[in-house]
Amino acid sequence: MRDYVVEIIERTFNVAAYVATSIHDYPDVALASAVLFYWSRRASEDGLCMSAARACTLHDLIFRCAPGIVEIDPGRAVTDGARARIACQSLALELVEQSQVGICLSELDQLDLGLLETNRSMEEDDYMYSDDDEADCSDRDLDGIESEEDSLDWHPKPSSKVITKESLLLAQGEDLRRVMEFLKLKEQHARTLLIHHRWDVDKLFAVLVDKGKDQLFAEAGVTVLECKSYAASLFSPTVACNICMEDICANEVTVMDCSHCFCNNCWTEHFIVKINEGQSRRIRCMEHKCNAICDEAAIRNLVSARDPELAERFERFLLESYIDDNKMVKWCPSVPHCGNAIRVENDEYCEVECACGLQFCFRCSSEAHSPCSCLMWELWAKKCKDESETVNWMTVHTKPCPKCHKPVEKNGGCNLVSCICGQPFCWLCGGATGKNHTWTSISGHSCGRYKEDKEQSAERAKKDLYRYMHYHNRHKAHTDSFKLESRLKELIKDKISISESKNINYIDYTWVTNGLYRLFRSRRVLSYSYPFAYYMFGNDLFKDEMADEKKRELKKNLFEDQQERLESNVEKLSKSLEQQFDELTEEAVMAMRAEVINLSVHIDGICKKMYECIENDLLGSLEQAIHNISPYKSEGVERASELSVFTRDPSQCFLQLNSSLKGETMEPGRSSSGSPSFEKGCSSRKRGRREALLDLNMPARATFKSYDFNSQISHPR
Amino acid sequence: MLDLSRVQKELMDCNRDKDISGISVELRGDDLSRLFGTISGPIATPYEGGTFRIDIHLTDEYPFEPPKMQFMTKVWHPNISSQNGAICLDILKDQWSPALTIKTALLSLQALLSAPEPDDPQDAVVAQQYLRDYPTFVGTARYWTETFAKRASVGIEEKVQKLVEMGFPEDLVRKSLDKVGGDENMALEKLCSG
Repeated sequence: MRDYVVEIIERTFNVAAYVATSIHDYPDVALASAVLFYWSRRASEDGLCMSAARACTLHDLIFRCAPGIVEIDPGRAVTDGARARIACQSLALELVEQSQVGICLSELDQLDLGLLETNRSMEEDDYMYSDDDEADCSDRDLDGIESEEDSLDWHPKPSSKVITKESLLLAQGEDLRRVMEFLKLKEQHARTLLIHHRWDVDKLFAVLVDKGKDQLFAEAGVTVLECKSYAASLFSPTVACNICMEDICANEVTVMDCSHCFCNNCWTEHFIVKINEGQSRRIRCMEHKCNAICDEAAIRNLVSARDPELAERFERFLLESYIDDNKMVKWCPSVPHCGNAIRVENDEYCEVECACGLQFCFRCSSEAHSPCSCLMWELWAKKCKDESETVNWMTVHTKPCPKCHKPVEKNGGCNLVSCICGQPFCWLCGGATGKNHTWTSISGHSCGRYKEDKEQSAERAKKDLYRYMHYHNRHKAHTDSFKLESRLKELIKDKISISESKNINYIDYTWVTNGLYRLFRSRRVLSYSYPFAYYMFGNDLFKDEMADEKKRELKKNLFEDQQERLESNVEKLSKSLEQQFDELTEEAVMAMRAEVINLSVHIDGICKKMYECIENDLLGSLEQAIHNISPYKSEGVERASELSVFTRDPSQCFLQLNSSLKGETMEPGRSSSGSPSFEKGCSSRKRGRREALLDLNMPARATFKSYDFNSQISHPR
Repeated sequence: MLDLSRVQKELMDCNRDKDISGISVELRGDDLSRLFGTISGPIATPYEGGTFRIDIHLTDEYPFEPPKMQFMTKVWHPNISSQNGAICLDILKDQWSPALTIKTALLSLQALLSAPEPDDPQDAVVAQQYLRDYPTFVGTARYWTETFAKRASVGIEEKVQKLVEMGFPEDLVRKSLDKVGGDENMALEKLCSG
């Protein structure tokens, strides 16, 4: 029996640890788990103290709130979380009453305090959840979304966020807070831990569960001392600094968390050298073999006293670690750089649109290229760069060498041409020949006589080239159409305003713009489907996978059928949208409207099917290579939303909205990611304009304070 | 700029017990940033009895950056280049700490002589020999010690004598010999070139 209970407790312990990591999304669940975590640990230490039934109930309740399940039914999670919390509370009280465990009263007080706090914040939580629900409920009409005005107040479930210079601190605040709260740490320690684990909070907690707190801290170089014993012993007026070997006045030395003490001058010198070496994120203590990371506040204070500019740089490096060392965050690749970074929430295989308007593939930071995989696109882009301009010239002026398949140009002379690889061949037929020749005959070669095998070898290189050209031309044609059609946007806007002014009856023209956006999107898919097909059915990537000629033919046909259907419908839509609807009669306009809407829906359907085919039948059937593509999105590349952090302070919300107004925060061409100097010029400008905004030049501690978890609770709604 | 007072203190401290530690540091010229250190080969190693001279260059950031050290005496050792005397030692690179001194670095070099780390070699040829044919390695290392690490200190007076006889002033001869690590021919070359 005892073993059984211990096992239950062990398992509960694991679940609790797992759930506790979602502290922000579901504070109730997390707190309940933390309590359970605490009790079950005590229980397993003390032998047996919790009744099995109790543990099971709690386990069950909390288990239902585990992250995956929570997503399916958030409302349920809240109630379950609340029930778990109450169960925890009563369990704790019961245990105290029974005095089965020797409990420190202060510990219990702490727990109760925590519970109380969540109690108080419950109302706000409720508010938050209902807010979420609203967002979910505002289900968007398939075709009623896409005019520019609409997209501004359109809030889908965000899967990517823009991080501007201003919101960088907020963005990491969430992760920092999770770690700070869960481990009861100061901000700099949490940051050190997170930098060490590349901002992967889940991994950090996994290490915590696996190896324990001490090991986690030691590996990252975090030392949390209860009291600074060394500092307390500093009664003598002078201290010998081991670095400069001088006796230093006791008020001019600094003791780090690791209890090593050196004079301020030496510390500063050390920090400056390290920052200049680009090691801002992990500046270690000066003592030999001391692995501790120096307190960032101490670094900030000391360095800014000597070199404020460098201190700013240090600050910047530290903050940007969130972008540079983080798998889920990337700089926007815009040139000139807009200064933004994008954070994705779930999947790194996606395409995003930065607030500056640039659309890119999050994974490889090149242009959005779905349905090509990143590897395909990389190869294709390289191939096009190498070949596109010359392809046309080459086909006219060169012939491929039958031996090395390199294109050979004839620079005069007779029709016996010699490639640089040494292979002579006949310019007329492209076949390999011997070296000797007279004016009338070439040895080992008689061009007039038809021989099939020679034809074949010469043709192969040509075929490769033609194949590439086929796909290249189509890809290019659709890309060009895409560019041309972009101009339609302005034209159509004009036409709409003309029609609207002409008609007394109000007619809604959003269908035109929606049709246009559908056209843009499907044109894109179409144009990138050609490089995809080039690699999918070619020999460059999948020679072995596609060895079976028949199967390949089958798959190719399947794909090309869909491609063809898409192509014809896209052209129809394009043609339909080019009509001068401002000159048509009302009936004709209605007919056009019907056509455009029908085509739009139809095309969306085809695109979906084509992606299904690509993902399941083509890429999905590969056995060796793994190619992931960004999934099809009916609404097009998603525009990353401005970051809204878990904040309940109304004034903060206001500030964020303010800063998220388009154009305000984006000043393209102003800054570059790595350059430390960009702050100087613009920050002062910014400060003048929006004083209330987060100022990155201020110590992080000061700015971070307003987002402190506790202070939010004191702002009840 | 270089912390001159620390370097001076280090020099004094180091030379105070040089007879016991077998380690000494001297100025190379008037400039405190160019020094040379001497370590004696550790007992019970092929380097026993040798005196090894090390070129030390202190950068402006010293002690916050490690001193640059290089063997002037030729050594046969897996972690020291047999070509130019470059040293592969962690505390001279990323594991340097400002709390370390020239003396502790030289002590570490002495320790490196008695405990080579062939898995992290500077000289691949030596390291391979160390791992595959240890007796030959010991033989070569001893031979190099005999040839290069002893001649300099033993025959120094003879060399001075010889060069003075050639007509060079004695203090200049001593200086030149110091600079090239006791090599007679190189000193002569230096003297001739002015």
